[in-house]
Amino acid sequence: MRIVKDTNIDFMSRTFIASCISALLILVGAVSLITNGGPKLSIDFKGGTLVAVNFTEPVDINKIRSSLSSVLIDGQNFDFSKEEIKHFGDESNVAIRIASMENEPPRFANRVSESLASIYPDLLPSEKSDFILSIDKVGPKVGAELSSDAVLAILYALGFILIYISIRFEFKYAIGAIAALTHDVLITLGVFSILGYEISLAVIAAFLTIVGYSLNDTIVIFDRVRENVKSSKGSSMESVINQSINDSLSRTIVTSLTTFLVVLILFLVGGEVIHTFSFAMIVGVVIGTYSSIFVASPIVIRMDKKQN
Amino acid sequence: MQKSLTPRFLTIGVILAWAVYALLPTWEYQQMTEEEKEELRTLGELEKTESRIIRQGLDLKGGMYIVLEADIPLLVSNLASMKDDRLNKIIDDSKEKSIKQNQDFISVFDTEVRNDGIKLSRYYHEYGASLDQIITSLNEEADDAINRVLEILQNRVDQFGVSEPTIQKQGKHRIVVELAGIQDSDRARALLQSTALLEFYLVKNVSVTNEVIAQLDNALKGDQSLASSLKDDTKDINEVDKEEEITTVSELFGEEQVTPNESTKNEDFDDDIFLENPFSGLLTAIPGDMGVEEKNLYALKKLLDREEVKSTLENSNGQFLLSQQSEPITANDPKNYYKLYYLEKRPELTGGIVEEARADLGSLGGGSAGQPVVSLSMNSEGSRTWSRVTGANVGERIAIVLDQKVHMAPSIREKIPGGRTQIEGFADLNEAKDLAIILRAGALPAPVNIIEERIVGPSLGADSISQGTQAVLIGLISVLIFMLAYYKLAGTVADFALIWNILLVLAVLASLQATLTLPGIAGLILTVGMSIDANVIIFERIREELRKGKTPKAAIDSGYDRALTTIIDANVTTLIASLVLYQFGTGPIKGFATVLFWGILISMFTAVFITRTIFNAYISSRALTKLSI
Repeated sequence: MRIVKDTNIDFMSRTFIASCISALLILVGAVSLITNGGPKLSIDFKGGTLVAVNFTEPVDINKIRSSLSSVLIDGQNFDFSKEEIKHFGDESNVAIRIASMENEPPRFANRVSESLASIYPDLLPSEKSDFILSIDKVGPKVGAELSSDAVLAILYALGFILIYISIRFEFKYAIGAIAALTHDVLITLGVFSILGYEISLAVIAAFLTIVGYSLNDTIVIFDRVRENVKSSKGSSMESVINQSINDSLSRTIVTSLTTFLVVLILFLVGGEVIHTFSFAMIVGVVIGTYSSIFVASPIVIRMDKKQN
Repeated sequence: MQKSLTPRFLTIGVILAWAVYALLPTWEYQQMTEEEKEELRTLGELEKTESRIIRQGLDLKGGMYIVLEADIPLLVSNLASMKDDRLNKIIDDSKEKSIKQNQDFISVFDTEVRNDGIKLSRYYHEYGASLDQIITSLNEEADDAINRVLEILQNRVDQFGVSEPTIQKQGKHRIVVELAGIQDSDRARALLQSTALLEFYLVKNVSVTNEVIAQLDNALKGDQSLASSLKDDTKDINEVDKEEEITTVSELFGEEQVTPNESTKNEDFDDDIFLENPFSGLLTAIPGDMGVEEKNLYALKKLLDREEVKSTLENSNGQFLLSQQSEPITANDPKNYYKLYYLEKRPELTGGIVEEARADLGSLGGGSAGQPVVSLSMNSEGSRTWSRVTGANVGERIAIVLDQKVHMAPSIREKIPGGRTQIEGFADLNEAKDLAIILRAGALPAPVNIIEERIVGPSLGADSISQGTQAVLIGLISVLIFMLAYYKLAGTVADFALIWNILLVLAVLASLQATLTLPGIAGLILTVGMSIDANVIIFERIREELRKGKTPKAAIDSGYDRALTTIIDANVTTLIASLVLYQFGTGPIKGFATVLFWGILISMFTAVFITRTIFNAYISSRALTKLSI
């Protein structure tokens, strides 16, 4: 069986349309990011409290919201109705996210879960410990550190990869690869912003995996280019790259399909906790495949022209 | 490839045998029932098995993850003798700056001291003469403190009785504690965070207390800013107090009868109560004590924080402390009250005088019959002081204070020799047990703050496991089927390699005693996707070579040779990403990075080495003209 027969598609003549599409995608994402005031960061980076609980039957968010407008904890009156309260997984689960504040009383998160429990006293699981699904509390200082760590992680990864590709290939390939994966991360970031998904630690991991995957794909094509440059001296860079993309096209499609299949399954049955992670991966696989052909390669051609 | 295949098969055989051996304990452990585990635990053999299995992360089995940070600024402040405002200000400023700039407190403190020109030796004469010496010693003190904190916490957690607790130092001043399967997070938190500073204070007598409360009311009276500053926080206090009669100071103790201010009974007193009796207005009479209703607690704490209150208390050499927990006072009043005590400023007895602490139910005949109590015995120095203090203050009350909270304040009936005493006032026996653990393990040299806390409930963990396993299985099976359909016989070889790939990754995780987290499972699935890529690259190459008219053997040889560099270059970049993730990530992310790293490394081995050996064996055994690929 062969999905792709011998092809001879002139990919590089479509560079202009592709760059318009890319520019549009990035622009839409950027507009969304600007109007939303930057990416929506989870409590991992902003600090705060996230409490997820589990009732035995579906509950009404609006009732919960209004009940939480006045909660007394240690003599301090809190209004949580403005905080983010939403269903988590299905309608019987509720998650509330509270921004970190000064003078938080001790046992704050547990008191929040207790006041949630008191709203629907008849819908509590028989086992008390089953009510709380999860509690996350991150101090503002830790949040700031995690953010700087995440930024550093991405920068270091990019730096090392740049060095590696420059050594194994040439500098122009490294620039092409880095441009492609920056493109991928920017678009994924934009998609997250448009859909209102949070950037958590797990999503940062997904981003770095996208970086890895996108590179993987780009390098397979570059490897072919490197080989074809040697064997077909005299041909233009453009035709060599076209040839190489066609040569490796069936591999690109088979691998992308299997990887896509796997992350799709992860997204569908992997459960709520890794939902955003697998979503980032789905976007990343699609964009990563596209960018190897339409972002990384054209940049190598352009840089090659400049050199000569 | 004319070389003998035997060494290759041997290598593969050894590695596969090792994988089975490494995974066996995990398999056996999974098959065990709870009773069998319990049986092995009593024999002391469970730990041996547990040290060889893949451990499940807290996100999978439920539990608690806490990061504690030693309060170094407070430690430095505590070490200073004869603190004054100038030093306090420098410490406060340095603390703020170190948080803002994400820098080490002591080095910021060093710079601040140099900028200010203050002579540190005035406060830290025991720690050296020159600034450099003092800073070095302070650094040593801080390091030493965190190490002792680590040791003490280890001690406490060990006695707490959780399976496989992990307590590790992270960075310079942090400790990460992971407790699996914890149900009662409050209890664990209290156990970890308590500094276990046990102090005994004399309670000031009633008339002195009344006087100081009257002084405070006076000092705060008429302060217009007070009403407005408290207004937000006390909205509901007003609502509640409206229904009640206002208690005056004297009523609290029932000493002299003063007619309650008539105006307070009017409907429109509103903020006036705070202007007339700002302090005592928050208090309620309780038989023998003063009480603070839960609702008023925050307002009271805010008042106690005010400068005029602080200076009044300073002058009268006393301090207000609250009881450890709130409780209803009478059966027909459902509201909870904290007790408020006015104590001497200096403790009579403090610190590490505890030699043994034991939790028990109070013996019959005593006042605490059937109630949980902690019995203490003190060392000789403690015993001497204790007998002197109790002897000199018969009839007075003495407050037993742990971490600035009053556990109880009994009257001293007689001199207590022998250094024995009992602490009461616990909600249940567990709380008493925890206190006994804390007291035995000793006080923390520096207070610790919880800066990060994550709890995963057991039900979410169970869901995650079943969904994660399901995703892995479905993903794996669909990829296996796809490869079989697309590459036929060669696909079988790739499938074989893929299964071994997963088993090898798990075997490596087991022998590294790595922890499998939910992101780790995601990493495993990703490995499935990406390790197939190596085979796809190779097979597509072989197909290409076949199309050029090469024989199967030649096609396989050149296919593998050409694909090798591609595979290495493509995978090394992902390896770099996973290494960076491992370096910068914490907890679950580290788990993901570990799986990804080993997954890629092993996939290169299985795809290149194992499949090739199988192909070679297949080809050399017969003269092949057609390859099923």
